[in-house]
Amino acid sequence: MNPRAYVVNTGLVTAIGNNTAECMDALIAGRSGIGKAKHLQTHWRNELPVGEVDASNAELAAMSGTDAAWPRTALLSAIASKEAWQPYAGKTEGLRTGFFSANSVGGMDLTEDFYAGFVQNNATGNLANVTSHECGAVTELVSDHLGIYDFVTTISTACSSSANSIMMAAQMIGNDMLDIAIAGGADCLSKFTLNGFHTLMILDKEPCHPFDQNRRGLNLGEGAGYLVLMNEKAMQQCGAKAICIVSGYANTNDAFHQTASSPQGTGNKMAMQQALQKAGLQPSDIDYINLHGTGTANNDSSEGLAIAAIFGEHVPMASSTKAYTGHTLGASGGIEAVFGTLAIRDGIVFPNIRWQTQMEEIAWKPVTELQRGCDIKHVLSNSFGFGGNCSSLILSKS
Amino acid sequence: MELYIHSTGIVSAAGDNSKENFLSAAPAYDTDRLMCDELDYTAYIPPMQLRRMSKAVRMGVAASRICLQQAGVEKPSAISVGTGMGCLNDTEQFLSKMVSQNEQMLTPTSFIQSTHNTVGGQIALLSGCHGHNLTFVQRGHSFENAVINASLYLDEHPGENILTGGLDELTGTSLAVLKRAGVYSAGPRGPESILHHARPGSIAGEGASFLLLGKDAKPGTLCIRGLSLFVTKDTAQALGNVNDFLAQEQLKPSDISLVMLGINGDGKYESFYHKLQRDVFKDRHIAVFKHLSGEYATSSAFAVALLSRLAATGSFPSFLFTAAAPERLDHIVLINNYVNHYSCWHLHLV
Repeated sequence: MNPRAYVVNTGLVTAIGNNTAECMDALIAGRSGIGKAKHLQTHWRNELPVGEVDASNAELAAMSGTDAAWPRTALLSAIASKEAWQPYAGKTEGLRTGFFSANSVGGMDLTEDFYAGFVQNNATGNLANVTSHECGAVTELVSDHLGIYDFVTTISTACSSSANSIMMAAQMIGNDMLDIAIAGGADCLSKFTLNGFHTLMILDKEPCHPFDQNRRGLNLGEGAGYLVLMNEKAMQQCGAKAICIVSGYANTNDAFHQTASSPQGTGNKMAMQQALQKAGLQPSDIDYINLHGTGTANNDSSEGLAIAAIFGEHVPMASSTKAYTGHTLGASGGIEAVFGTLAIRDGIVFPNIRWQTQMEEIAWKPVTELQRGCDIKHVLSNSFGFGGNCSSLILSKS
Repeated sequence: MELYIHSTGIVSAAGDNSKENFLSAAPAYDTDRLMCDELDYTAYIPPMQLRRMSKAVRMGVAASRICLQQAGVEKPSAISVGTGMGCLNDTEQFLSKMVSQNEQMLTPTSFIQSTHNTVGGQIALLSGCHGHNLTFVQRGHSFENAVINASLYLDEHPGENILTGGLDELTGTSLAVLKRAGVYSAGPRGPESILHHARPGSIAGEGASFLLLGKDAKPGTLCIRGLSLFVTKDTAQALGNVNDFLAQEQLKPSDISLVMLGINGDGKYESFYHKLQRDVFKDRHIAVFKHLSGEYATSSAFAVALLSRLAATGSFPSFLFTAAAPERLDHIVLINNYVNHYSCWHLHLV
């Protein structure tokens, strides 16, 4: 049998907290992080609420022991990956470790500053601001900082990016190519993405309402989320305890439209079904679904119908946590895999906050009150994105 | 690793492999940039879609279509793409309008297409491929990561195939920025200067190359047997790593019928490639490719596709070799680098 990928630790930074414990407190208290941007310098500050991490770049650099001149995505990545990695640093002699860090904006925040000068005259613009433009450059700043070199990769499949990091990390541990993986992703808010989503007219001007009949769109967010995955050998050497395992994963393509989901959620359905198959589970085995649930008319309808097609009248407890964090794009799969891990660890299901009205096209509704004392054995986590990319992960109690 | 290359699709500054005359003439130019020789895309892409595609997207999609056509495959099982920079032109268009129009009156088209996975998504859309689809953005290891992913996919789905490629486009901005950063050389140069006269910086390039990979060994196909990646600023360390790779692959110099090197005309790497030729691969046949493709983050995709093409056609144009061409192919080693990112490949003709 192939080695299994055990989840042993997590790291988070989001609009609702600067580490896993703070985020967990906010999830339990029902405290949303959506509000007016303080740090993002944008024309739309008063009109488009966001899920912003409550710290300046200088504060983020101080928290992570890095450099405030880094792209904000790298700063967020460093904070969350260090939280996840800290307990094992220095204990991994002889073990093969990989860093799988997805993102979609790279160093765009600094490139925006560079470009303002460069468009006037291409001999101007501070080169240091553009050397970390590439998504892979952001990952390397952090992997160098953590001292991880055995395998370093950056997946960029828009909003499904970091779910794919976790999938690939589990595969490489399963194939005995690595002993340890830090897997997830990061993305910061940028004017580029805020304006881009605004032109698509899918941003809610108020805090978002995922899976509500009267939903108006999504709020962008920022943050980073990572799992530390280990095989048994690494757990033994590091003295790590398993919280759960990555039991299933699938990546499919909707092949319908560059940005929109097919009405029936063809790709979504295939991803969930294939992940169940990989895990050797039936739909009835799933105890909680962490929905992609962006709050757009299109996503929630397609995802909702795909879930109805698979689970029929027995849809398990399900919620979107994006009403807390905003849609953190390339980071969302990683952040939500951490939430799924915490649901298993603590027997908790987080509420889909701000939900008011039943969606007409589906018969099921999300969980709207905090559920405690649940025996959560299997969590399904969905991440869907531009380019038709659909990914589903299954985390199972070990 | 055991990945068989069933077909290739190449769109490059040296032309595309859908044409009979591909690689029929030695390169001749005096320029600071090797831009893609773009083909008539209408044979591969419906006009409505083509109109909206930037160069990165259309050359990527066309290379993938050529690759599928050459294999006689309508739809791949899965797709794996590497790109160092993604869709730069669309990114710049949206960025420059956003800056100059102070975040107002913007339109979505260039934003939609600026996403790094646009090419993978468009290939899926045009071929109706609902399978696994990933895009890697890891600087000079982007294509290599896509190949590792292809290997993981085929291990789980051994009867299937996966369309695997690398692409990058050169824009006015990336050329200007990378010249200032010393990656690309400032003035014009010719093919000879790239191979024999090292200067600061390499020759700028762009292109898209795809491979259809599978687990079944068809006779006459090239197999990817080994792949090793490392990042270092120290060329002496890089040389040591190449030797480690050869040992790990259990390759003796006498086993190697051909060595392909990513010599790019940049003085920083001159001693590294010189020592490889003089010491490590002494008396081996040496092939080069960057005088055709130019230098870019995913040029290794062009190199692997080119090797597969040499294996398939059995024709060895003299301008690819530093001295004599080999008489036959067996084990092949490819050593490439792009700005401190090295890759070592072991390929084998079945």
